[in-house]
Amino acid sequence: MNSSHLLLRSFLTASVLTAWVLPLRAQVEVSASALPTVGVALSGALGGGATEIISTDLRRTGEIEPVGGASGQYYATGVATESGITGQLVNKRTGEVVFNQTFDGHGRLAAHQFSDAITKAVTGLPGFATSRIAFIGGQGRVKELYLADIDGYNVREITHDNTVSASPALSHDGAKIAYASYKSGYLDVYLVDLGTGSRTRISYYPGINSGPSFSPDNSSLALTLSKDGNPEIYTIALNGGIENRITRTRGGETSPSWSPTGDRLVYSSDDHGTPQLFISSSTGVSEMDQLYTGNSYCTKPDWSPDGKTIAFTARVGGQFQVGLFDLATRLGHLVTADGGQDPAWTRDSRHLVYSKHGRLYLLDTVTHKSLPIALSVTADCGEPAVSR
Amino acid sequence: MKMPRRLALLSVLTLALAACSDDKNNPNYGGMGADGSGLPSNQTDQIGGNNADISGIPPTRPANGASPDSADYGTLASDTVYFGFDKAIVNAEERGKLEAVSEWFKANPGHALFLAGHADKRGTPEYNRALGERRAEAVREYLVGLGLSATVLYTTSYGSDPPAVDGDTEEAYAKNRRVEIGVVMQQ
Repeated sequence: MNSSHLLLRSFLTASVLTAWVLPLRAQVEVSASALPTVGVALSGALGGGATEIISTDLRRTGEIEPVGGASGQYYATGVATESGITGQLVNKRTGEVVFNQTFDGHGRLAAHQFSDAITKAVTGLPGFATSRIAFIGGQGRVKELYLADIDGYNVREITHDNTVSASPALSHDGAKIAYASYKSGYLDVYLVDLGTGSRTRISYYPGINSGPSFSPDNSSLALTLSKDGNPEIYTIALNGGIENRITRTRGGETSPSWSPTGDRLVYSSDDHGTPQLFISSSTGVSEMDQLYTGNSYCTKPDWSPDGKTIAFTARVGGQFQVGLFDLATRLGHLVTADGGQDPAWTRDSRHLVYSKHGRLYLLDTVTHKSLPIALSVTADCGEPAVSR
Repeated sequence: MKMPRRLALLSVLTLALAACSDDKNNPNYGGMGADGSGLPSNQTDQIGGNNADISGIPPTRPANGASPDSADYGTLASDTVYFGFDKAIVNAEERGKLEAVSEWFKANPGHALFLAGHADKRGTPEYNRALGERRAEAVREYLVGLGLSATVLYTTSYGSDPPAVDGDTEEAYAKNRRVEIGVVMQQ
């Protein structure tokens, strides 16, 4: 190896290291005053509660500054009752009525619907106030599947199986949950229809069946099966029939996540010794494109809805942290410093739900601030999934 | 460069396998059974040469649907096999236990074994489930190498739950990275 090659090599190493250890992205500092301001004031029987929910939702986006009364650049008003909200958003500079709409969600949902409509109208970005999280809660050999609103309200225990439920995924329309369970004694994949409450065991090949992920059109699941030997990635139809085998290695592959266009999958493979991230076609065994994140142990990737970033779990100095891999620059960096794992993107491709020491958190990947999600579940919680 | 050659080999293998297995029409697969319906009935012809794959020996479940939870993990408890962090290789110092298991198995006909893989609690649960499975498969392959039939060696993985030993010490973690060997009657 000649000296210029060596120089280039050390330069590249230094760049990668710099990118890796910088705790904040350079461009992140956006002062609060630069954010669009929205005044919120609802009347009606539930007006006070709805005003508070909407203000909290808007602040959580990181893109909007909610303000009191009519002092904002936008003004959100309406009537909140048991049957929903009739809401209006006015652009105060132009006097234009941006929308005048009825939100008929049950309970808190109507306020969240209003919040997402405001977020979309003011920033052009999808809000995630109406999103729900599926997660696993429990200890030892009893871990049940739960569903809750992303703000921690409306917790529902979906399984009561007295066994271990694992690795939930929410369909993109929010209508179904796929997850793995030891209910039969073996690790099999089940599909829950949240509308009807029905549950079907769909994948129970010999070996493990685990880690399902819905394709963007909700017609397929990518998952890990070990039916041919060690754990490999496959895609199956919702009735369990194999569609495609994706990997064929001597290592183990886990945690597939679809690209938003559905043509590719990112997953973890330890075929090279330690778990690393790879991207492959979603239609058959193909070349594995390794993502060099700068870290030797990377698991549980999640592809952002805008297609640009892979979130993952990294093991750094014996600790687990949430990392991001930018597909344009092909560089990785960490977004947590005090621990975190199993990140799942929200709709805006800016926030992540992740777990740390049995609790769930919502992280803003721009400001790197994270807030605990208050859940009325006393057991340890983990493996969060977010509806898109 | 080695990569293109390896890829070419893979492609050949892919085509060869595609020709001899169509999972959608696999008679061993029970398909879309409702919750609690029977397990796929007969897996035995998945074992052996024609389906050989670099992934290893395809696993099976007992034809009578016996649960790994129903196995007796006490009889061979002293032969629990331990693993290094993030490793699924049977260490030299653990191999004597599997020779002892092999001797026990040959002296006690009519039994089958569940090989239950576990991982310590650190890391993402999903990766640990796959790691436990690979540990169970490593033990299975070692026992096949000692002359046992793969058809009476069933694997399962529990991932990080439950630990054998509670706690956050290296000693506890080392006791939890294991494959427990459970005994069931052969049908």
